Amino acid sequence: MNDNNLKIQRNLWESPWGYIESFFIGFGLLLTGLFLEVFVTSDTVFTLKYPNNVIFLAAYILLLFVAYKWFSTSQLIRWLTKVPASISSITLVTFLVMIMGIIPQVPSNNNIINNLGLNHITTNWAFILIIFQFLTCLGLISIKRILQFKWENFGFILNHVGLFLALIAGILGTGDLQRLSLNVYENKPNWIATDAQRNEVELPFAIYLKDFLIEEYNPKLALVDNSTGSIAHNDGKNLYLVEKGETYYFNNFEVKIEDFLPNAIRFGMRYESVNEIGSPPAAYITVKNTENDSIQNAWISSGSFRYPYESLKISDTYSMVMTIPEVKKFSSDIDILTKEGERISTVLEVNKAFKYKGWKIYQLSYDDKMGKWSNLSVLELVKDPWLPLIYIGIFMMIAGAVYMFWTGNKITKNA
Amino acid sequence: MTWIDFPLYSSIIVILWIIGLIFLAVSYKKKMVFKIATALFLMGWAVLILFVVKLWVELDRPPMRTLGETRLWYATFLPLIGFVTYIRWKYKWFLAYSIAMASMFLAINYLNPETYSKTLMPALQSPWFIPHVLVYLFSYAVLAASSIVAIKGWYHSYKGNFNIETLKLADNLVYIGFAFLTLGLLFGALWAKEAWGHYWTWDPKEVWAFLTWMGYLIYIHYRYFHSQKTTQALTILALAFVVLLVCWFGVNYLPVANTSVHTYTQY
Repeated sequence: MNDNNLKIQRNLWESPWGYIESFFIGFGLLLTGLFLEVFVTSDTVFTLKYPNNVIFLAAYILLLFVAYKWFSTSQLIRWLTKVPASISSITLVTFLVMIMGIIPQVPSNNNIINNLGLNHITTNWAFILIIFQFLTCLGLISIKRILQFKWENFGFILNHVGLFLALIAGILGTGDLQRLSLNVYENKPNWIATDAQRNEVELPFAIYLKDFLIEEYNPKLALVDNSTGSIAHNDGKNLYLVEKGETYYFNNFEVKIEDFLPNAIRFGMRYESVNEIGSPPAAYITVKNTENDSIQNAWISSGSFRYPYESLKISDTYSMVMTIPEVKKFSSDIDILTKEGERISTVLEVNKAFKYKGWKIYQLSYDDKMGKWSNLSVLELVKDPWLPLIYIGIFMMIAGAVYMFWTGNKITKNA
Repeated sequence: MTWIDFPLYSSIIVILWIIGLIFLAVSYKKKMVFKIATALFLMGWAVLILFVVKLWVELDRPPMRTLGETRLWYATFLPLIGFVTYIRWKYKWFLAYSIAMASMFLAINYLNPETYSKTLMPALQSPWFIPHVLVYLFSYAVLAASSIVAIKGWYHSYKGNFNIETLKLADNLVYIGFAFLTLGLLFGALWAKEAWGHYWTWDPKEVWAFLTWMGYLIYIHYRYFHSQKTTQALTILALAFVVLLVCWFGVNYLPVANTSVHTYTQY
């Protein structure tokens, strides 16, 4: 804040500071941050790495403690532990996050957005300053309630300390977070991963892919407009799964699925089941036009990267087509090979990661074009040493939420 | 095909509830009739639960993926909230509101026929899926109820017969709703860590969920320290619900939508 304001608006800044002063300071921080965004043009994102972030955390908590313990009579500290400061900082954090929720956080052509850094709010100076004030309020209030512990404050402490821990560990932990992606091909070991900037990173172990498996749902049946090529039934929603024996109705057409083969290729007039790379699903359908009772029979297929699709033209306007099957489940059967010569077998699946030596290994993706014949599996490896602290925070908040639900609202109870 | 039966089920439910609402209106004059109203509401609710159970069994996956399915859950939870609130605070108007809202959601579903799709993408196949969505929908239903209380409070302030009890009801609903909102947010974070390797990615839906959470956080803090400034509190509550609505429906229409993993499936 500049001195002029302090002199001119002396009355305004008389103690205790209220909402006007709080928002004044908040907007001051906001403008300072945006000013820094415009005039400090550096591309590198400000992050702290180990051990600096640990030192920062220790020093910050110590500072908050000292500030509360010995300087709680000072104007600034008194203000920070009071409600107007909390509400103004919650409001300003909300305001900045709202910008993030409206402006896409991607490179932009708009000068205002670019200069003010509104497309990278999480690393924007304004956001960092406001979050810093928010955390300082939260930290001081937490220390205050811990030092004046009473059982009725238990839920309060769980919620506030939990949020403080989760936030600060999340923010300081970004410097130590490693996220790598690793491509493994069937029957080949690989230990060279790449990070987000496409730099190669050597892993302390290798991963050998024994088998990559995809399970698929049956394909779906769709009514397509011949002129536009788009799905003409129910706005593209509500497609039916192709299952042998089912009968479905599209407008005035009755479609019966006589036969369904999950892997098949065409032999002359018909499709036959085969066990061959790239063999698409196929179905034999009977279409009856209920307006004139005409009947058509044909094989249709969704096609694959090797074979073309086949549809059935059922009238001048419409055709029946079969969609590409959706993936139900994909998994990698892998061995982790250590430098010591150990071999650890496991199966990775979406939502079923594997933990190994501080790394978490995730099934991320595969070769889309090859689909279920892909022999490439893309894995993701994540190391986040700050995670335990974040989880402590999250679980404290979960406990706090349960407590809050259980005891309900004090205002009503006391009244 | 359970969704094909939906018009039949929903008409039965809505008819039972409308008759119930008429009886409830009469019960302001004749107290005895209220029991009939309750019985009709419960019958309708039982039919609705039967439909949800059948749908779940039929689809072979939790019916929580599409917007229509979430509306169905909303319709299922609202009567529960209405009854619990009635048992605790004896507000008949609130029971009527929750039943009317539930009927409205059934009507919306009737006008927008829903998906027969059984497919569920791998990332959604997780034990976190059901708790994450159920907790959120319950929370949204309770918070929606609190905003109706806010509107009632506004109307009464305008008429000059504002009763602080109205705001206390809103407080209790916000506390319950906020607790569940927090759980939904945190379950989502824990799940995201399991599925995508990170607990928080500032996905547009996450951003708006966080904003919703912050909105109610402001209300709670404001109420806690300024229990006499009722009009401001009511305004904050109404605004927080606007943010909640943006989070629920609006995100799909914002310029940020195409980067979200939460956009409800359209096919």
